[in-house]
Amino acid sequence: MQNLSELVGRLIAAEVEFVLVGGLAAVAHGATLVTRDVDICCRFTEANLMRIQRAFADLHPVHRSRPDLPLDLTREQCASLKNLYLRTDLGVVDCLGEILGVGGFDQVAEHGVVVDSPVGKCRVLDLETSIRAKEAMGRDHDRIAVKQLREVQKRQTPR
Amino acid sequence: MPDEISNRGSALNESALVYRSAEPGAGRGDIDISLLEESLRMSPWERMLANDDALNFGESLRAAMERRNAES
Repeated sequence: MQNLSELVGRLIAAEVEFVLVGGLAAVAHGATLVTRDVDICCRFTEANLMRIQRAFADLHPVHRSRPDLPLDLTREQCASLKNLYLRTDLGVVDCLGEILGVGGFDQVAEHGVVVDSPVGKCRVLDLETSIRAKEAMGRDHDRIAVKQLREVQKRQTPR
Repeated sequence: MPDEISNRGSALNESALVYRSAEPGAGRGDIDISLLEESLRMSPWERMLANDDALNFGESLRAAMERRNAES
């Protein structure tokens, strides 16, 4: 059973510094595509990575490319990691240090909008920047997401 | 962090936005406008929960199909 919203909720509760990006951000903006993982852009500091580790500790987190390796970050790993690809009991989480077409965490955070959740506030990459990031990726499903997000954009009018 | 969030960026506040309906008969190629409009009636968090439901429903259908194929 996958539960991506629970994964996001845990990141919020653990006070991880992150911005929700990718397919789930597109879903949050209204895209009707179904996404299978959580993509976040986060600050790759030791403290923040340890928060991620604690958030998923009871979900048997493993490195996606090495499922035999449980997530057990060391200070040295934290210093060298650029991205962190995880599999947990509730689904896949990709932690990215930068987003193609946008930049590193600080640039991404500048384009974050706040979404309320039952757990607290969550930053989500804004609509225009989500479109830009999806265009930069250029895969087939990204192009469909861009069409939907452009349609959402047309429908948004400030009150 | 939550305090920082509340002070940064603009809120994606559904109550501050109005979504215009499609013109009658408007088609957008491969986009199902009615599904999109249904999605836009939900809050962002509700959309994420709906994604979970759709994802798990799809997984259960796939598992059922695999069982059926294994039996036949």
